[in-house]
This record gives sequence, structure tokens and C-alpha cells, in this order.
Amino acid sequence: MNEHRRQILQMLSEGKITADEAERLISAVEEPAAAGSPEGSATASAKTPKYLRVQVDSEEDGGHEGPTKVNVRVPMQLLRAGVRLAGLLPAQALHRANHAMQEQGIPIDLTQIKPENLEELIEHLNDLTVDVDQKDAGTKVKVRVFCE
Amino acid sequence: MIPFVAVVSLRNHESRTFRLWIPLILIWLLLLPLGVLLSPFIFIACLVCRVNPFRGVAVMWQILNALTDTNIQVEHRSAGLSFHIL
Repeated sequence: MNEHRRQILQMLSEGKITADEAERLISAVEEPAAAGSPEGSATASAKTPKYLRVQVDSEEDGGHEGPTKVNVRVPMQLLRAGVRLAGLLPAQALHRANHAMQEQGIPIDLTQIKPENLEELIEHLNDLTVDVDQKDAGTKVKVRVFCE
Repeated sequence: MIPFVAVVSLRNHESRTFRLWIPLILIWLLLLPLGVLLSPFIFIACLVCRVNPFRGVAVMWQILNALTDTNIQVEHRSAGLSFHIL
């Protein structure tokens, strides 16, 4: 579903379709999924992501070794448990972790991640797709992070 | 439910695959008496760190449960590795 939506938005950004057409297409794509489920709650549960996937494809230009592929699938339950674990940590430890991450250029405040906001966070992860393509010094790396 | 089995698959350059089934249940059974023996020390350590020991144990149990279905695959032309927790 996300893939379809992404394609439609891509077409919109390329100017192949108008905003009205994009809206109609998105609603048409979303309609069968809503109609297919007998209850609204079933739709909601179907939308809830179960796994966080990280795929990495790396290939050296002209390399004889072939591509290297990494595929990691982590259950969302583990993410939930991890956030609960972070909620247990003393504030002093969280501040030190924040400081260490900021030194590495990661501006994340761990003290703001609370178990109360967890479900909302996971719900929004459903729409998350991160694609990174990098061509650097004869190496092609493609990283894809998404939920399923 | 806590994971009972981990499957490690290794593929070498000759495309021969070795699959190793690790019975995690045996590891949990071996670690259980150790955990019971260490529980007073864990309790004291939690109190020193100002962490609720019961919540700590509950979260560790949740993490253990959540490990089920974790899958890691690394594929290369010359070798491959797959790790799956069931």
C-alpha cells in the first residue's frame, strides 16, 4: 500500500499527474483495503506493523566478489520492550547517553521517549520508509528501512 | 512466549549449507538456577541504581519474549549466514 502511495506521489512530484488526480488515485488505492475488512478494527490491526526491516545491498564497481546483502527483521515487540527498558534507566544515565549521541551527531533526546507515547510512535512507523542510495569511491550502497 | 530454538545457517563458497539448531530451552533451563542464585545481587544492584527490580525483571522478560521471530541474513557470493530465532 505504501509502495502504491509512494509511486503516486512520485508521479505528482514529476508533474505527470495533477494534485486532484493524485488524491483520486490514493483514495482508489486505499478503498479496496478498507472494503476488504469486515470491521474497522480489523483494518487498524492489519495496518499495525509487526516487523522493522533493514535491507542493505552493497556492491563494489568492477568487484569480482559480487554483491553483499544484509537483511534484518526485528519484531516490533522488541522495539516496545526496548523503549520500556529505556524508561527504566535513571535520568543521569539517559543524559549521558544523550550527550554521547550528540557528540556523534545524533540529536535524539532519550528522555523524551516515554512508554506512554510508544503506541503512537509505532503507529507512525507504519508510514516510514527510508531509502538511502550512495555511490562512493567505487562502491554502491543501498539501504532500505521500512515496516511490514 | 520465549524463544525455544535458534537456527544458524552457514553457507560456504562451495554452496554447501550447514544448519545448526540451537535448543535455547536448554540454555534457559541451565541459566535458571544461576538466575535464582544471583537474584539477591541483582536485587541489590537494582536498588543501588535506583531501578525498581520487579519492573526490571518484567522488562527483561518482555525483551526475551520479543526476540522470537528475529531474523538476520547476510548474503555474499562466497558465503552466507542466517540467524533465525524461533
